[in-house]
Amino acid sequence: MPTQTAATPPRVLGLYDEPFWRHMKDDGRMHLQCCRDCGAWRYPPGPACHACLSPASDWKPVSGGGELLSWVTFHKQYLPAYPAPYNVIAVRLDEGPTLISNLIEDPEPDQRPIGRRVRLKVVAMADGVALPRFEFAD
Amino acid sequence: MKSLKRVASVIGVGHTDWVSDWHRVRAGERPDDCYGYAAGALRNALADAGIGKEQVNGLIVGPTTAYERMAEVVGLNVRWGDQADAVLSVVQACMAIESGAADVVALVYGNDQRSVGTQYGGPQAMGGDQFLSYVYHAPWGLTSQGALYALMFRRFCELHGVSERDLGHVAVAQREGSSRNPNAIQRKPISLDDYMAAPYITEPLRLFDYCLINDGGVALIIAEAGLARKLSPRAVSIEAVGRFDLNQGATSLEPRLTDFYRPAQQAVAEQIFGASGLDPSDIDVLQVYDSFSVHVPLALEGYGYCGIGESGRFMREKGIGLGGLLPTNTSGGHLSESYMQGWNHQIECVRQARGECGDRQIENCRRVHYTSDVAGKAVSIIYGA
Ligand SMILES: [Zn+2]
Repeated sequence: MPTQTAATPPRVLGLYDEPFWRHMKDDGRMHLQCCRDCGAWRYPPGPACHACLSPASDWKPVSGGGELLSWVTFHKQYLPAYPAPYNVIAVRLDEGPTLISNLIEDPEPDQRPIGRRVRLKVVAMADGVALPRFEFAD
Repeated sequence: MKSLKRVASVIGVGHTDWVSDWHRVRAGERPDDCYGYAAGALRNALADAGIGKEQVNGLIVGPTTAYERMAEVVGLNVRWGDQADAVLSVVQACMAIESGAADVVALVYGNDQRSVGTQYGGPQAMGGDQFLSYVYHAPWGLTSQGALYALMFRRFCELHGVSERDLGHVAVAQREGSSRNPNAIQRKPISLDDYMAAPYITEPLRLFDYCLINDGGVALIIAEAGLARKLSPRAVSIEAVGRFDLNQGATSLEPRLTDFYRPAQQAVAEQIFGASGLDPSDIDVLQVYDSFSVHVPLALEGYGYCGIGESGRFMREKGIGLGGLLPTNTSGGHLSESYMQGWNHQIECVRQARGECGDRQIENCRRVHYTSDVAGKAVSIIYGA
């Protein structure tokens, strides 16, 4: 990814989002809500379990492993922190949820990125935001 | 929704002058606001139906106008009303008519998105932070609808054997239609080479895969089927409607990324085809909500116009242009005619079924399938002559 100088684009910070970002910054690890009753993992954070409707959950660390579902390259700049070209990817974590993120090194088509194993790496943005990104693990 | 077969018909369609307003807005004018465009379209739809507004007893307004104010502007006191997007307006009108809540329903839509610079991308796009959607992904640089479809299409290419050049058939076919449509904004024909030579916006999508942004309005008049026959010799029957929603994993784009909407489309296909004894070979013209070209190959596979993984070959060999096996978005759609968020497609469905499309008319057009597969909802209508 290009060097970041501008502010990280705004995060949606609803009532349930804060622990996600706090853990990322304090522990350098991604935590997600895990249902205390049925064990389903949840992303984005929310008030109830989508599987069993239980309100009880715990923030637990995820393994950081996943599979790359898709990737694109932006050729147009929309945000000061993201000069073009830059990549955006979709990753399915081993725990189940799907995340939108970036690959730390821009992928090339001949790497056949789709289906490859990736591993999470927390990156410090210029403004101090700890952002979860990924790199190839295989 | 089995009870909604042939309960209502479209007796009038109307729209504003998209081409003239396109030029005026580009010259810095603001010809109308959302309400003005909608009112202009309603005038034309009532004239097309040959009825006065006092015969209207139901009203549905599009998402860009407030229901009460819109009704005030056009002077309509009604016994039933609602607000909905294009495809759901038609479904709601059928439900209101079936229930007896209304028997002549006006559907009105106006949008000044170009002249006021509505943002469909960016962190605050369309109030997106309230309902998450792609705005949730802004910290990673994903803030545009186009990027969602690019993510979806890249995976679809890999799994379904479609190439970027195959996708070009959508933009090329729709420009062929718009080149024969005096109401279309972009009318210059393009070739596959022109398509491939255009710049990427979010790779793998290129310039011609993206819809226009323009001002305008659309209105439809829908009446109970028996009454419609009395009111108009050109009534077009709403043969069937179907809907299925995929909401789980919406923010993470799961229904689009891994399922390509297919389970929803297949459930809808069962509602609109299976139960009425029709199948895709009975459809003469397909109209697909095309904020991006990508919707078309997904619909071809999802609704059974070709097998899973065969949409690339279908577009290449059988064709979706005016002379193809399945003419699709014959007016030019959102890519080339006008971006009326699905509303202009309803007009084209009606005109093709009436046989009023001039140089782009598909011969012996008896049934037109419109489908809108966006934001997790698959919704389809079959219009019949
Ligand atoms: Zn649970």
